[in-house]
Amino acid sequence: MNLFRRSLLAAAAIATLGATQALPAQAADPIKVGLSGPFTGGSASMGVSMRDGVKLAVAEINKAGGVLGRPILLVERDDEARNELGVQIAQELINKEQVVATLGYINTGVALASQRFYQEAEIPVLNNVATGTIISHQFEAPKAEHNFVFRTSAPDIIQSAMIAEEAVVRQGFKAPAILADSSNYGQLGRKDLVAALDKRGVKPVAEEKFNVGDTDMTSQLLKVKQAGADVILTYAIGPELAQIANGMAKLGWKLPMIGSWTLSMATFIDNAGANGDGAMMPQTFIQLPTTPKRKAFIEAYQAAYKIDRIASPVSAAQGYDSVYLLAAAITQAGGTEGDKIRAALEDLNTKVEGVVTTYDRPFSATDHEAITSNIPVFGVVKGGRVVPAHPEDLEGDKALRVKTKG
Amino acid sequence: MEILGQLIVSGIAVGMIYGVIAFGYQLTFATSKTLNFGQGEALMLGSLVGWSLVAVTGYLLMLPIVLAFGLLQGAIVERLGVRQAIKTKSEAGWIMATIALGIIFRNLAENIWGRDALKFPSPLPEAPLSFAGINVLPMELAIVVGAIAMMVAVEVFNRRSIYGRAVVATAGDRDAAGLVGVNTSLVITFSYALSSLAAAFAGVLIAPVTLTGATMGGVLGLKGFAVAIIGGLSSGFGVVVGGLILGITENLTGFYLSTGYKDVPGLLLLLLVLSLKPSGLFGKAAIKKV
Amino acid sequence: MLANAFKTLALAALVVFPFAVSSPYYLHLLVVIMIYSVVTLGLDVVFGYTGEVSVGHAALFGIGAYTAGVLAFQLGIGFWWALPLGIVITAGFGALLALPALRVTGPYLAMVTLAFGTIVQILINEMTFLTEGPLGISLKRPVVFDWRPLADTLPFLKMSAKKMADVQFYYVVVIALVVTLVVISRLLASRYGRAFEALRDSPIACDCMGVSVYKHKVLAFVISAGFAGLGGVLFSYSELYIAPNNFGFDLSITFLLAVTMGGRKSRIGPIIGAAVVVFLPNLLADINMFRIAAGVVAVVAVAGGGIHMLRKPEQRARTAIPVALCLAFFVFAMFLERITDYKLTIFGMMILFVVFYLPNGIYGFLRAALPAGRTGGAVAGNEDAAWGTAAAASGGAALLQVDQILMQFGGLKALDRVDLSVRAGTVHGLIGPNGSGKSTMMNVLTGIYAPTAGGVKFLGQEVAGHTPSEIAGRGIARTFQNVQLFSELTLLENVMVGLQHSYSGSMADAALRTPRERREENAARDRAAGLLRFVGLDAVAHEEARNLPYGKQRLLEIARALALDPQLLLLDEPAAGLTAPDIQDLMRIIRKIRDHGITMVLIEHHMDVVMSVCDTVSVLDFGQKIAEGTPAVVQKDEKVLAAYLGGSHDTVAA
Repeated sequence: MNLFRRSLLAAAAIATLGATQALPAQAADPIKVGLSGPFTGGSASMGVSMRDGVKLAVAEINKAGGVLGRPILLVERDDEARNELGVQIAQELINKEQVVATLGYINTGVALASQRFYQEAEIPVLNNVATGTIISHQFEAPKAEHNFVFRTSAPDIIQSAMIAEEAVVRQGFKAPAILADSSNYGQLGRKDLVAALDKRGVKPVAEEKFNVGDTDMTSQLLKVKQAGADVILTYAIGPELAQIANGMAKLGWKLPMIGSWTLSMATFIDNAGANGDGAMMPQTFIQLPTTPKRKAFIEAYQAAYKIDRIASPVSAAQGYDSVYLLAAAITQAGGTEGDKIRAALEDLNTKVEGVVTTYDRPFSATDHEAITSNIPVFGVVKGGRVVPAHPEDLEGDKALRVKTKG
Repeated sequence: MEILGQLIVSGIAVGMIYGVIAFGYQLTFATSKTLNFGQGEALMLGSLVGWSLVAVTGYLLMLPIVLAFGLLQGAIVERLGVRQAIKTKSEAGWIMATIALGIIFRNLAENIWGRDALKFPSPLPEAPLSFAGINVLPMELAIVVGAIAMMVAVEVFNRRSIYGRAVVATAGDRDAAGLVGVNTSLVITFSYALSSLAAAFAGVLIAPVTLTGATMGGVLGLKGFAVAIIGGLSSGFGVVVGGLILGITENLTGFYLSTGYKDVPGLLLLLLVLSLKPSGLFGKAAIKKV
Repeated sequence: MLANAFKTLALAALVVFPFAVSSPYYLHLLVVIMIYSVVTLGLDVVFGYTGEVSVGHAALFGIGAYTAGVLAFQLGIGFWWALPLGIVITAGFGALLALPALRVTGPYLAMVTLAFGTIVQILINEMTFLTEGPLGISLKRPVVFDWRPLADTLPFLKMSAKKMADVQFYYVVVIALVVTLVVISRLLASRYGRAFEALRDSPIACDCMGVSVYKHKVLAFVISAGFAGLGGVLFSYSELYIAPNNFGFDLSITFLLAVTMGGRKSRIGPIIGAAVVVFLPNLLADINMFRIAAGVVAVVAVAGGGIHMLRKPEQRARTAIPVALCLAFFVFAMFLERITDYKLTIFGMMILFVVFYLPNGIYGFLRAALPAGRTGGAVAGNEDAAWGTAAAASGGAALLQVDQILMQFGGLKALDRVDLSVRAGTVHGLIGPNGSGKSTMMNVLTGIYAPTAGGVKFLGQEVAGHTPSEIAGRGIARTFQNVQLFSELTLLENVMVGLQHSYSGSMADAALRTPRERREENAARDRAAGLLRFVGLDAVAHEEARNLPYGKQRLLEIARALALDPQLLLLDEPAAGLTAPDIQDLMRIIRKIRDHGITMVLIEHHMDVVMSVCDTVSVLDFGQKIAEGTPAVVQKDEKVLAAYLGGSHDTVAA
């Protein structure tokens, strides 16, 4: 009886469990790194892409001998995009698992609620997807002596400035309308967007909200229409963005859509179909083999997870890069002490070749953003994929865009 | 005027969906005084099963399979979640059990169909029809027609068939119906099956318009619940009116007041209805028996 | 004794915990468990005792949290003011919700609380000027006093400033939990707790005992809201960051689950439940820990099931299933490789398991496995103490005057312009065939039905259309044709519900168990014991009412009704289902009650009872009064005979 044998094995496993845990640390004691993101629920597609990118990088590093001769051990936790669960996980990762650093956060709210505990414990956090502008500034001097929060995603302030520039300057729209969801992602983004438009001397003609999960955008769209808007700027996530595009089609009316990076989510592209074509969004990474590193990453990801199109390429790439940045910092620090890793991240003296960019001193003591406004390019939805909106942006040596030093 | 018309037309389409879900709540409440708090998940499952089938079988052939699936799913919910609780007369029991089943179904769906919203191919053209400047999708018309047709079909079935009489008897007095030989527990199981059938049908009706996915049920289930309460848990006519009221109110508030407060007037209306007429707008007040 | 030792031990463990375990993770985990416990203990008052399902407690919790957040952020007011204000403001919101909401019950109430929760969440999100909206509010942890200078003499106090703040906050939460436990325990042991349980078992009887169901439901809800607010304030200072999405529908469900899982109607149950729901995400995140836990559950199930089988062998088959399920669950845990994807499924299955096999929750299961619990017992009742101070009415004058009462249900006239006059000090019989309107008359007299037309004067004042509890308060008590006891209360407690009017203290007296409260409680207990003695039930005073034989239940109803100090007692078929000796007893009791000056209306089918105790008899048929007079006269009335022999009223009249 196979089942019987397996049950016996199971019982044996339980019996030995205590024993294995009591064993003394082995020579190649793994380096524990936390990973927190939503792997179930509405924003899970970003969380899972990020997780898979991270795991891909960790597998590569471990295969190549690890960091400081030690393998990286990921401790994955599903925060379900719930603030209080994120807090609990942060406590667990810090105090129980004793991770040396944590990667992750898709949701700005979870990041804001949780990362204070890393700050207190002096353990670095690398936000690799969440974009709320305030995230990396929550513990800036003078609020704290050292800031332990870093980021490898494009913050809203950059994205909103790019959106405003694209809409007002490059395409000459005069009457933008903003549609944002009522989550803190949407509302914080909306605020940044209004400020960015204001800098360009434009006031949005309408600012409308909807809830995550709403399926009918008629009243919002009619308000936009009545206000005489000529472009729709968005801050929301995939399914609701698709409802906006489809809702416009229903009303027999179409405005160009320009919005935050989430317009590249598969849930928008697939569900809006032809209605979504032409939507534009800033992207740190587009699933195109424009550099050898990108080619290798895409191929490895496709092979590892047996898929063709990455659900959220941006999350996957940023997640992947965040691991290499952390590994480089640990190597440079020569140890796993949180404060040393922070110092190394702030003064990284090796160039890290990533998927998004090549990181050359990406952080400093006062600047914890790896992405500057010159790095993302505009992507546009075309035939079910995101392609560069302005192909000239990625031609020749412009394909690899490196952080500007301010 | 055009705008008002457009808002109302869209509100009607949304409201009919709420109405169908609310109708499902009514079916089970009539026989067993319990509700399936996983009604939204029944809708979601029906819609996802339909999504898997539709590519193979086409839309029309998919319908009977989804309806059969709905029947089965509802029966499972009743057997696993409600039966025991009815026996022990535990109010908390069935609420918790149906919530738990809803959680399980949602999680299983996430693992089977993934975590993303999916596009449901529309059986009808996706270009809007225009009447006097008011646009409406052919599928939205299908929702209204389909929803009414389904409710009428279930009502006719309930009134004409022997099962239907058993339902009426069970709804009136469960113990008495049992005494005269009605298998009340079978009637209750069947009412759950019918209720999930209604939800599954609603799922495949709306999916071409709203997208489908593991998380689609939550909000719709709650809205349907609100409608069932506004309309009254005992009035088939009430849920249609309640659905339309909620759907249209949401749209009008969104446009004329603020989209941020879109949901508030509907809920305030609910509180108002309940404080003035606790059995719902069209519900019959029960006579206390001592 | 054992319970006290356990309490002391638990408290001691809580006190030394921060010095024994240095990890801030476990400290924080414990704090969150205790905060959730405060909320679930409060929720249990509504959910466990009054039996109403509230899915709005997350919103109340959020109101408490945001009270603290807004006070700190907008006004710079710190923790110590936030604490009382949070409780008061949340209780206020609870009242705001409860006043309209508790007119409805069951799924309707669930919907109302759900709507309330949604509206609160939307308001917190939208009122950015006050709450910072989706951005959320950050707070700073308070320091009670800086003990670091003392560290030289007391070395165990040596710690960082952060750790000190954490530890001190931990103690604040411990104190809050202890206070919550004490206050809730005392309230629930007082007349308020009895009323909460009584109104769930039989709301109608509760109203007819002068204990307003509506008022007490609102009260339970407001108390519950206050504790949710306390929990909320503590939560905001525990997490130090709050945002609107903290307080959604899911959290309300979590609270309900905690109470259900842990065990309703107990102090320990909600705490166990809170610990389970807080710890569960951690447990379901780590496959090894999950396997160990599944193993422990399997062992406990086998042991518990084994004990149960030995004790009750006849239930062997029923016990075997859950035990087998626990074992299967353990095997499943060993096979499972990735847990994150399926953790919600596991969570759902656990809830189902609890609902099916532990209907009284984990604590209920443990309590059943251990001996002890409430068992029957006697009280020493003194019959002289039984009688209240109500003025005995003198004979002759009309105590109750029913004037042309009409009660219509749709087209059916259940009472068709009936007059009735009951003289003080008499026993007035009301007879008639089934469906003649006798019970409808009872329900009109006690305010359960508002008559369509006509009036009812009691002691010269109009009472028709008043609420049952008002009418009961004026001195009309009743028993029920279908016995309406408070089945989960003891006999003594059942009678004490009827004695609610004898208390003059406030709720604060009950919560603090002041001398006045104790005095009144003792007096009520003595009277209740006396009343039980009067009906001959003092030997089983501590038995739960549902365990009583049917005939005795009727006697208990009479004792409970007498507790109200009524001037008029309505007895609805008191002899139905009684054995012959019991009926003799009953007649003796009825006469004795009359001797104490209490007027009675007696509905009865047993003619020998009617004939021997009644002074006057009225006969109803098809909603109309067809005869009235002394028993002897009525007995010979032709119309009465025709009615009882089945002939229709019309043929007799013709």
